[in-house]
Amino acid sequence: MKFGWCKAVLLACVVALMSVPAHAKTVKIACASAFSGPAAAYGDNVKAGVTLKVEEINAAGGVGGAQVEVLWMDSLCDPKESNTVAAKIARDEEIVGVVGHLCSSAHLAALPTYLRAGVPAITPTATNVAISDQNKDRKGLVWSFRDVYRDDFQGKFLARYAKEVLGVAKVAVFYENNDYGIGLKDAFVGEAKRLGLDVVGEEAYVKGTPDFTPQLTKLKASAPDGIFLSGYYNEGALIASQAKKIGLDVLKFGADGFDNMDYIKLAGDASEGTYITTPFLASEAGPEAQKFLADFKARYNRDVDYMSANAYDAAGILLQAIEKAGADRAKIREYLAGMNTPEKGYHGVSGLTYFDEHGDAQKPAFVKVVKNGEMVPAQQLK
Amino acid sequence: MLEQLLPQLVNGLTLGVIYALIAVGYTMVYGVIELINFAHGEVYMFGAFLCVTFITAVGMPFYLAIVAAMGCCALIGMFLDLVAYKPLRKAPRLAALITAIGMSIFLQNLAMVIWGSRPLPFVQSAVPAYLNETALSFSGVYLTWLQLFIFAVTTAMMLGLMFIITRTRIGTAMRALAQNKTAAALMGINVNFVIAFTFALGSAMGAVAGILVSVYYNSLYPTMGYVAGVKAFAAAVLGGIGSVPGAMLGGIVLGVAEALGAGYVSSLYRDGVAYAVMIAVIIFRPSGLLGKAVIDKA
Repeated sequence: MKFGWCKAVLLACVVALMSVPAHAKTVKIACASAFSGPAAAYGDNVKAGVTLKVEEINAAGGVGGAQVEVLWMDSLCDPKESNTVAAKIARDEEIVGVVGHLCSSAHLAALPTYLRAGVPAITPTATNVAISDQNKDRKGLVWSFRDVYRDDFQGKFLARYAKEVLGVAKVAVFYENNDYGIGLKDAFVGEAKRLGLDVVGEEAYVKGTPDFTPQLTKLKASAPDGIFLSGYYNEGALIASQAKKIGLDVLKFGADGFDNMDYIKLAGDASEGTYITTPFLASEAGPEAQKFLADFKARYNRDVDYMSANAYDAAGILLQAIEKAGADRAKIREYLAGMNTPEKGYHGVSGLTYFDEHGDAQKPAFVKVVKNGEMVPAQQLK
Repeated sequence: MLEQLLPQLVNGLTLGVIYALIAVGYTMVYGVIELINFAHGEVYMFGAFLCVTFITAVGMPFYLAIVAAMGCCALIGMFLDLVAYKPLRKAPRLAALITAIGMSIFLQNLAMVIWGSRPLPFVQSAVPAYLNETALSFSGVYLTWLQLFIFAVTTAMMLGLMFIITRTRIGTAMRALAQNKTAAALMGINVNFVIAFTFALGSAMGAVAGILVSVYYNSLYPTMGYVAGVKAFAAAVLGGIGSVPGAMLGGIVLGVAEALGAGYVSSLYRDGVAYAVMIAVIIFRPSGLLGKAVIDKA
């Protein structure tokens, strides 16, 4: 074909012209997370994981010969800000995929834009149930995937764990009033009631207040044997130490939002005996994770938390898709959607990830417990 | 139901005296230059961080670090006035208000740059051990020495402040300025000096509040000033903005309303109850609990 020849020659010239003076080809991905504001500490974890993966890939020659460039987009865990960030990503045609967002609320707010513009996204941390229904465009194609389990799975898992392993009979719930805290609490309470646990109190708190004593005093009056803290470690640490101060010394358990060493640092003694579910447990991780654990420790001088591990894998999955399918948004999406069986899954540090028809990953939950100022593996639920 | 009452009152009171300590900073500045210094919450946060820095980096003992942090925050307060508010003294009030919000954002992000965004625990090793021990426990109430320390420090600082305002020359000058700036200047009062002093005093009190909170909750983070600032501002308005005893009363009322609201109404409406109390007071007494009805000078 004549037409094709001309175009190919021209294209080759252009490519040659462009690539000779420039250093090397680059492929751009975005990481949308919270890098400032109240949730910046979580964003830091995600950034650490993504950075480590991207640097590894770049050091090994990049994807398809192109160096990977990450654009850090600060969406503050805020739905409004997230919307702006999503629009910016969608407009920049060079960005082929997104790792993010960090918070479920922010992810939900960004989804309509990604669906309209056709931007594939993998979130390492957004666990809200509603995402599964809102991540398909009009043709029914899934654009948003996650390499983390859903809140309902985690909430139900914790209720079973509380009953079967911890032997709790009367349980109280203290939850953060946002999509994450409520989703988790609802699943937990539903399953707990089904299992015959007595849910003696449900109290809420709002992010940002450092004082939880009024709610804890109220919960204490209902005399639970265990308290489920449905929220994140910052507040969780304050809650644990205040509970101890007012004499509410009962079993505590929390979900993946607690999985951070800062929880122990902030709560001190009060964190002892807290059970935590996590998508990532170093002791249960395979040999391929050991190098990651060591590299992470060397680079950031702290232990790996699940957000960093999941972010590391999310970046890995996205880059594998770019490598295999090319730097094209639609092709990347197709590739990701095609990772739908265990055989086609991705073996990362957080285990095997493959997606169902809603873009959700079936990933296991592990349980850790705080003992002598360390998070150690607890008895696992079989 | 009733067995909760006493513990909830203690919870509310601890919260309330801290609000009061911050609220004083708002109310003094408002009394003198009619500016709501929204950056005050950030000064409170800086107090906590500076105290920790003095302990860890300089090796100061706990009590000395508190005094040093107070001194530094007093300087920060004066500096704020100098760079942000003084040039706008004659500008419309809205301009200064927006500048205050800008300074608040600036200081918050500055703290993130210096100390990072992760929450830090207070250096517990530097805190005298007895503070964390239980001092009193009766009918469901657990009071630590730290809580008693907070009550004592707050009361002492409030009395000291009242003394400065009512019994000293500079305090008299502050009150003169609050009544009429022009007349005060004509009487030979150095207006800018008095304003700077007001900022210094309010900021030092804010620093103490920040330190006490970070020790009590064992956590400090760059955004801690925001919610505390909003609450303290509400307390100042509730008590009657411009009135120092009003700020104290307002803080305590707000703290207790919050604790009782969470305990007896619903924890979701914890802040809602506190603000509803504030609104109810403002409806019936627009100048606040102890505020005087002022005739608009304009």
